[in-house]
Amino acid sequence: MDRRNSRRDAEGNSVITANRLLDGRIVWLAPNGQWKTLIQDAKLYPNSTVEEALKVRTAHAQENGLVGIYGVQVTQTASGPLPVTSRERIRAAGPTVHPDFTPDWHAPHPAPHA
Amino acid sequence: MSHAPSAALPVGHYSYDAVDRTFLKQRVAQFQDQVERRLSGALTEEEFKPLRLMNGLYLQLHAYMLRVAIPYGVLDAAQMRTLAHIARTYDRDYGHFTTRQNIQFNWIRLEDTPEILNVLADADMHAIQTSGNCIRNVTADQFAGAAADEVLDPRVYAEILRQWSTLHPEFTFLPRKFKIAISGSQQDRVAARFHDIGLIAREGDNGRPVFEVFVGGGLGRTPIIGVRLRDDLPEEDLIAYLEAILRVYNAHGRRDNIYKARIKILVQALGAEEFLSQVNAEFSAMDRARYRLPEATVEAIRARFGAPDFAPAGDAAEKLVAQRKSDHAFDAWVRTNTHAHKQPGYASVTVSCKPAGGIPGDVTSAQMDLLADLADRYSFGELRITHLQNVVLGHVRQDALYDVWQALEKNGLGEANIGFITDIVACPGLDYCALANARSIPIAQKLSSRFANADLQREIGPLRLNISGCINACGHHHAGHIGILGVDKRGEEAFQITLGGSAGGADASVGQILGSAMSEDETVDAIARIIDTYLSRRTAGERFIETCRRLGTAPFKDAAYAPA
Repeated sequence: MDRRNSRRDAEGNSVITANRLLDGRIVWLAPNGQWKTLIQDAKLYPNSTVEEALKVRTAHAQENGLVGIYGVQVTQTASGPLPVTSRERIRAAGPTVHPDFTPDWHAPHPAPHA
Repeated sequence: MSHAPSAALPVGHYSYDAVDRTFLKQRVAQFQDQVERRLSGALTEEEFKPLRLMNGLYLQLHAYMLRVAIPYGVLDAAQMRTLAHIARTYDRDYGHFTTRQNIQFNWIRLEDTPEILNVLADADMHAIQTSGNCIRNVTADQFAGAAADEVLDPRVYAEILRQWSTLHPEFTFLPRKFKIAISGSQQDRVAARFHDIGLIAREGDNGRPVFEVFVGGGLGRTPIIGVRLRDDLPEEDLIAYLEAILRVYNAHGRRDNIYKARIKILVQALGAEEFLSQVNAEFSAMDRARYRLPEATVEAIRARFGAPDFAPAGDAAEKLVAQRKSDHAFDAWVRTNTHAHKQPGYASVTVSCKPAGGIPGDVTSAQMDLLADLADRYSFGELRITHLQNVVLGHVRQDALYDVWQALEKNGLGEANIGFITDIVACPGLDYCALANARSIPIAQKLSSRFANADLQREIGPLRLNISGCINACGHHHAGHIGILGVDKRGEEAFQITLGGSAGGADASVGQILGSAMSEDETVDAIARIIDTYLSRRTAGERFIETCRRLGTAPFKDAAYAPA
């Protein structure tokens, strides 16, 4: 895993993210334990507890169909959690060069298995 | 070296037979099984990752990315239509041409991948060895078999190297990835000196090819110009000698440190003389008969390539002259986007995939279909992807250029900017890449828009601008006359400028860092001031790179960091 994924301050909050194994799509762990496609739905964890939560979730990665579970430090804003690094902001919002490719983008003509 | 291939063979690339096709289908079935075992949990992600990478499937920032091989950058119209179909059906309606003459699809689903590989296999294509620590796609001159200045066609040898290196049991787990480029012209259009092995072919005394061999070049975090190991490697020893180089690298390359694992580090650590001595010792000890490349084998491979059946029109040149006179925009495009062909009455066309403000190397499925149609109609059904992220129609009759240009113009592919400042090379950067520190594309778009004026571009003249989103240098920034490197400053992106790099020929050079990193907008402004400095300081007829070399970096640094 990228070393950048485990960097976070002692203080502050993080959210938990992963990629779905089947389609690679980015998901965020919501308060109800479901994995959602929008960061706005993510549960906030104090940085002091997020490592423990990550351990638990990583142990269930295969049964949940996930890969690459890690924590992302965020700040809280009126529109929801906002990652503190530009890398994670782009990952959460989609490529800046295709504003239409938001995380809830759907293919106009889905692929055979979509 | 003459031959008469069957007209039924695809022009420009090797024609698969039943053995090749069976191999590809078996490979797809193998990957299908691996995917099923991954989904069932029989394979862990750690176990599966190297297997998917060997089939070109990465997990990037937003999704899986599939990198499809385009051997030596050549494909036929049917293959291009297959790529368009994949973009339209399984991705988001576009693809990205890479600096290794391949194509990447950025939104692939793991569960679709075996089916996509099947679709590719039906078109004699695959994604094998587009990733992993193996010998990657061998790149070649985009004007191979067409250029007036070519001595011999390098594609036959690129194909021989492809066949030699594909699933080579000794070289499937090298210390690090390995890149080979080959040119058949003394005009080095493949950046031979920036490759793990660079080959420049010419005709030898006996009428058969000999190869100049460069080794240990590369970009990345340690940019190094390769050293010349041989000047006159005979054709029959090509495989044996490369095998010897790879064996020395495989035995002594650093596997303990990924940053020191490329062959360039080994060559530098041993010194060129000692490295050469070890290669020669290995070469001498080899069973040379086993590795000999006989002329008959070369000719058998050559016979599997189709060749264009040229039929020049007697008045093609006159017609072209008249069309250029009557349409200035067309004349400008002909000047920048065509290349002299060895066959009188023909030209090679470079189709710019760099529209003003666009994304370098991105092409929609509709544009891919158009390019395939144009190839069928005007260029013997053959296309090439360049390492500068454009597309070449290799053999276009001069009296057809106007029709080709008009079709390209209507579809956003008619930019007359090849070799100019807006013909920018850029990696996908942080918008897609999991390794990137900064976005490459938005700054490319801003620069492309800033210098979009055609008169200004012509005034500036030839200039290579390359952008990489991290030190891995997929955008070859060190080799750009102006290079931009994206860096991470405490979680925010910033950009360093390098100056004076050059990719080709004996004057290959590594760009020098001008100073500290700046924001995206500051970098765009700084480059505009660098250009102003060049325009005001150049002597008559002096190109940008020549002015840089004459003046050194100091005046450009002063301009770049001048207070706003």
